[in-house]
Amino acid sequence: MSLDAMVAYVVERLPELWLRTGEHLMLTGCSTLAAMFIGIPVGILLFRATYLRGLLMGVIGILQTIPSLAMLVFLLALLKKIGVLPALIALTLYALLPIARNTLTGLEEVSAEVMEAAQGIGMQEYQQLMMVRIPLAAPVIVAGIRTAAVVGVGIATLSAFIGAGGLGQFINRGLALANIKLILLGAIPAALLALVVDFSIGAFEWGLRPERKRDKKGSVQSLMRRLAFMLPVALVLISIITYFTKPGWISKSATQLKTGHRIIRIATKNFTEQLILGEMMAQLIETKTDLIVERRFNLGGTMICHGALVNGEIDLYAEYTGTGLTAILKHPVISDPEEALNHVKKAYHERFDAQWLKPFGFNNTYAITVREADAKKNEWNRISDLGNTAIELRAGFTAEFAERPDGYPGLRQIYGLQFGEVRDFDPALMYEAMAKGEVDVICAFATDGRIAAYNLKPLKDDRNFFPPYHAAPVIREEIMKTHPKLGDVLSLFGGLIDNATMQRLNFEVDGKKRRTAEVVEEFLKAKGIL
Amino acid sequence: MIKLTHVSKTFDGGRSYAVKDLSLSVDKGETLVLLGSSGCGKTTTLKMINRLIKPTKGVIKVGGKDVMDHNPVDLRRQIGYVFQGIGLFPHMTIEQNVEIVPRLLGWSIRSRRERMQELLNLVGLPAESFAERFPDELSGGQQQRVGVARALAANPAYLLMDEPFGALDALTREALQQQLLTLKNQLKKTIVFVTHDLHEALLIGDRIAILHEGNLEQIGTKKDILDMPATKFVQDLFAIKRPGTLT
Repeated sequence: MSLDAMVAYVVERLPELWLRTGEHLMLTGCSTLAAMFIGIPVGILLFRATYLRGLLMGVIGILQTIPSLAMLVFLLALLKKIGVLPALIALTLYALLPIARNTLTGLEEVSAEVMEAAQGIGMQEYQQLMMVRIPLAAPVIVAGIRTAAVVGVGIATLSAFIGAGGLGQFINRGLALANIKLILLGAIPAALLALVVDFSIGAFEWGLRPERKRDKKGSVQSLMRRLAFMLPVALVLISIITYFTKPGWISKSATQLKTGHRIIRIATKNFTEQLILGEMMAQLIETKTDLIVERRFNLGGTMICHGALVNGEIDLYAEYTGTGLTAILKHPVISDPEEALNHVKKAYHERFDAQWLKPFGFNNTYAITVREADAKKNEWNRISDLGNTAIELRAGFTAEFAERPDGYPGLRQIYGLQFGEVRDFDPALMYEAMAKGEVDVICAFATDGRIAAYNLKPLKDDRNFFPPYHAAPVIREEIMKTHPKLGDVLSLFGGLIDNATMQRLNFEVDGKKRRTAEVVEEFLKAKGIL
Repeated sequence: MIKLTHVSKTFDGGRSYAVKDLSLSVDKGETLVLLGSSGCGKTTTLKMINRLIKPTKGVIKVGGKDVMDHNPVDLRRQIGYVFQGIGLFPHMTIEQNVEIVPRLLGWSIRSRRERMQELLNLVGLPAESFAERFPDELSGGQQQRVGVARALAANPAYLLMDEPFGALDALTREALQQQLLTLKNQLKKTIVFVTHDLHEALLIGDRIAILHEGNLEQIGTKKDILDMPATKFVQDLFAIKRPGTLT
């Protein structure tokens, strides 16, 4: 890509880049601040109460070792909320350890001689702490805050998984669409942001040094000192302002106040087809109703989408019958598509107050897929053909597939397959790994455009193991009651998209790197719906 | 006046004593030197006077009142203390270090400032050029003078000095000793001065108390001790022609 093209690419996305950077800073800044308000007092408490040290530092240390995604999902389950709150709490918990530990270490390292002098000249205990011990420990404490904030910038990229925004959103979307440019659009600013945060806290530390107090008023140093103090504060303020003035936030809230509930929140999981379906529903609703659509796309998986729907955090997303049946309802596989749909319809209505609308038409079931060349050489046509050779093969599965009963565990049972090695991948990276020859078998999606693009061969499911995966809009019944028209509008999609069409749409976005919104608009116009 | 009556201190439940059955008194305006080698209990004695260490047995009275009846913080603010390791606050300027006790006592900014200037001039560090510096920008001798100024700041009646010149080179030490002699005559404080240096003890002390392994060997004026050593230990100590240093 030429430099001009690169500049144009970034310039075009500048407004969103600004918004995401603001969100990112807000997440990092607020969580670091919160961690300071908790971590520093905890550090001081631990310094005084020696007997608590082992226990509390242990607990904080364990928090630190919880993988970030697991922590996010756990908080999601606990709070029953997606978005900024769980992200902020997770980031705060991570920031706690460096801040509390450095506070404790800093306080401990103050020389005993100086502390004896403080006591000996007649300082009260709190005066010894406030006037001598804490000021002397300050550089170590600030260093802890610095570590926490810089690490926080990195971890905050994961917040996008639960719809909290931030630069991770570009990375996430880029991963979902196998689009390196988008990934870099998130990753590079995040790295730069880490440097800016590091620098600004470093400047703060400089301004805090005792010798700065001596700088003459009006001198360059004293001016710089003031700037140094203001820098981190300014960063956090700017980020909060950016966050609360983001396009639509004010107008949206105003509309909401004036006219009551007029917003529909549409979510998607984090892969291309979901983004396309989400965008389709969004565009259709925007055209055919006067509802305002809020896109909460790219959430990190089925459980997050479903949880958000049940908790009323989102109103609508596209789900697959097989997924609803096995992953959500924990029901055994039903092979008949009609029967499967009826079952989830009934169960969702009874258990979740949610409604399944007419399916789009295609069946995006899992397809055990190998390279075309390998298939020819080994005469693989059906899954059973893999038989005993499976032990020599390396499999690459999505994390969901590896665990779901209608995934690898069931496959092993029904076909007696045992692969030599199983690795978990992000859906987009799974195909990459296949193309690069790093794995031999993947759990492709039947409608994926990359099956054709990468010369892959889906094997026939000769024992009818995989349940039908017909996609359909799933919507909260409460929304259906307030806006009965929605049902009719979304029914326009009924049977509109067959497997071949879905493969093509996926490939337009995945393979040709076209914009989802553009591909969707073109398609809907061609079908005469828009 | 400071009065110790049968004071003992053990750190190990009575197996050994840092200070054993020590009785002595320091008169108003007098300078008493506690002389002894390291581990003889002289620093422990000093710290018991301002309650940094609590005596195991015995009574210590400062100004006629048992120290255990004093509020320890108030007591310490009435007693200037010059520490062995100087113990200036590295994050405070010289001015702030000297002002600290008046500040704790709630003096007005103006009187604190006047006092600070007066004291820095008194110890030979003109305020104009030293007030805004930090301790690590001063030499060891200068730092110790600040330590003395800090101890004197709230104009205490008592001054405890724990080997204040121990870590300094010979020339600086001598200069400071001379300066202390002048100050002492000027200020008329009740001073307890700890040292292991015979020469320093003879130079500064109005009376000298010689401690050995927690016991008081002898207490008396320079003349008493040189003419009539009370024990063999004291005799041996001063038998050497040119009094040097105990280690």
